[in-house]
Amino acid sequence: MRLIPRIVIGIYLVIAVIGPLFIDYDPVHTPLKDRLLSPGSHTSTGTAWLGTDGVGRDILAQIVYGARTSMLIGALTVLVSCVVGICVGVVAGYARGWVDAVLARVIDVLLAFPGILLVIVIAGAFDRGVLVVVVALAAAGWISFARVTRAVALSLRERAWVDAARVMGVPRREIIVRHVLPFAIGPVVAMATLEFALIVLAEAGLSFLGIGLPTTTVSWGQTIASGKQYLETAWWISTLPGIALSLLIISVGILGDQLTARYGRGRRI
Amino acid sequence: MRTKVVAAVAALGLLAACSTTTGGSDTGSTSATGGDLTVAGTYPIESLDPHGVTGGGSTGTQLADRAIFSRLVGADTKGKLVGDLATSWKSGADTSEWKFELRKGVTFSDGSPLTATDVVDSFTRLLAINGTNAANFTGYTISAPSETEVVIKAPKPDASVPGKLTQFYVIPSGIKADDTAFFEHPVGSGPFTVTKFTPGEVLELAPNKKFSGSPAKLDKVTIKTIPELAARLTALRTGEADVVWGIPDDQLATLRGDDQLKIETVPSTAVYTMWFNSKIPALANAKVRKAIWQAVDFRTIIKELYPDTGKLADAPVAPGVLGYVKQKAVKYDPTAAKKALQEAGFDFNQKLRLQFANAEFRPFIQAVVSDLAEIGVQAEPLEKEQAVFTKDLLALNWDINFQQLTTPTFDAASNLGRLYPCAAGRNGYCNPELDTLLASAGAAADKKERVDDYGKASEIIWRDAVGMYPMAVSIAYAWNSKLQGFQPDPSGLPDFADVRYAAS
Repeated sequence: MRLIPRIVIGIYLVIAVIGPLFIDYDPVHTPLKDRLLSPGSHTSTGTAWLGTDGVGRDILAQIVYGARTSMLIGALTVLVSCVVGICVGVVAGYARGWVDAVLARVIDVLLAFPGILLVIVIAGAFDRGVLVVVVALAAAGWISFARVTRAVALSLRERAWVDAARVMGVPRREIIVRHVLPFAIGPVVAMATLEFALIVLAEAGLSFLGIGLPTTTVSWGQTIASGKQYLETAWWISTLPGIALSLLIISVGILGDQLTARYGRGRRI
Repeated sequence: MRTKVVAAVAALGLLAACSTTTGGSDTGSTSATGGDLTVAGTYPIESLDPHGVTGGGSTGTQLADRAIFSRLVGADTKGKLVGDLATSWKSGADTSEWKFELRKGVTFSDGSPLTATDVVDSFTRLLAINGTNAANFTGYTISAPSETEVVIKAPKPDASVPGKLTQFYVIPSGIKADDTAFFEHPVGSGPFTVTKFTPGEVLELAPNKKFSGSPAKLDKVTIKTIPELAARLTALRTGEADVVWGIPDDQLATLRGDDQLKIETVPSTAVYTMWFNSKIPALANAKVRKAIWQAVDFRTIIKELYPDTGKLADAPVAPGVLGYVKQKAVKYDPTAAKKALQEAGFDFNQKLRLQFANAEFRPFIQAVVSDLAEIGVQAEPLEKEQAVFTKDLLALNWDINFQQLTTPTFDAASNLGRLYPCAAGRNGYCNPELDTLLASAGAAADKKERVDDYGKASEIIWRDAVGMYPMAVSIAYAWNSKLQGFQPDPSGLPDFADVRYAAS
């Protein structure tokens, strides 16, 4: 049972990586004659196993390509958030004093600001693009990493082995990298998993609202949005990518919980 | 377990029954007074100022202004001019001077009489603000020889003055250009007055008790902006809204199955108009523009996306408009198009910015972009908010502009005559020959002569592909079958004054 989320995520990863090699899809091309076909119908180019959308594009291909987009944006954003968050957190926690005061207050201020609003403002202010979406999502995503790392660093810097290293004259940077950071990895990984799920969801939300990715990039959010007006007559356009999205989010969420149980609360530092 | 399921089913049934009753309750208040009408509007009403910068161009504002203010001249649903504030009008020998006789005894909703001074001041205000509609009247002057008479003088002969005036609304004297407070609770002489207005969201109207014509029969009209189509149609089916129009073909089939609704499509004056920005080097060449037009298979797009409400356009203006002359169809030929583009030295790496507003046009735009991509022309669809769209439109901040362009005056003067002269600068196209033709068409008193001239002008516009003119639009209306007196309007600006609920 415990393996199910990992298997599901693994399948998604495989689909995201190699799926596009097998399925050909061009988001700009709209074969109107094939529009609104139900799952399993024959189209001019083959069989639409999961149906087609309002302008005749294949839903299966959109899900596969959308998986790649979601995974890519999720991974990139988590990476950026992680790096920024860990740097800020560890500096704040280890340095203490006024540096910590300033950074901690900045984190508090940003925490008080609704994350999704911040993302919408940033994404809406610039032209659509993958980079803008990653930056916008990371702008809200790094905060939790910074908080976790800061907390870890605050407690670790008082530990005997850190004191010992300091007394022996080990440079500060070395202490942080060798004696503090390794202990932060567990909680950060657990956090990263949960963040990944939220970011995939937020990206779909942005694209749904039409301020995320450009129309030339396939995204689950856009596919779901394009099926909105056909919910009654062509349920598959919104429903199937919606299911794909939910399944991924739930699996990642469960995996995140498992990791948290193992590294976050369960293990003593 | 089974009892639980039964209970749940029963509860659901009860809930459904409740919601049906609630849905019907706003229609339940039918009485001799006519009931409350809720209109689910497609386009937001951002301002009520008919003379405002965008007032003339915004469908939402015009819909509201039809109900709140009066005009000198109106048009019936067939496009025939009828007197509103004016009882009669006539021109001098060469159509550069028009005299309007005003109806006596008209008052504003605050009880003050509507005089020739109000008409003069409103016209002056329209010109002073210089919004989209003022371009119809550049250099015109107005005077009031007596309390019941106004004279409009055109700088050069203009036969379309009465037609153009169907877009001109009279407000009381002394309202400044930036008087936003007045337009929160405007005083007008139309069949309705405003009881509540939230820009972009909702407009509530009550009958104007001082209205000089036959009074409105409804107790209240609520025009709610519901930009989301699915929400609009749901509102119609649940009874939350009584009238919806601009329904896409895909949804018509579902609505037709509902016997609570009446559905009708009327050919409108709208034509899908996709101007090219002739100012930018890539599109300055008429051959390039024509080739791009040729590259899009509009016939198939219309057949697939708009089987009920679309017809391949054959002129820059719709068939119902004075000045419509059929043009030769542009044949879909991607091979010839690509060849022509290569010969003209078109840069295939350039991305053309295709701007449009409103999500309802998205599939159409996507299909156009897809066809262009087939021959290697890259177009980037840019869906903009209405306000941003209008601003960019006027600033020529686009390469291809998609608009559903209507001719509410039913006279090509307000479409071709207003938008295509060099001086208008609306699409970067400038042709002195066209200017001359449009001027002569505008001045001719004789109807046949005007149609001839507009025909020749259309030919140039068509030949030089100032824009692509893919489709003449019909508007699909759906309304609660209990409503009486509702007339689908070809301009998409229905009048609610004669609407009422049938007594149940």
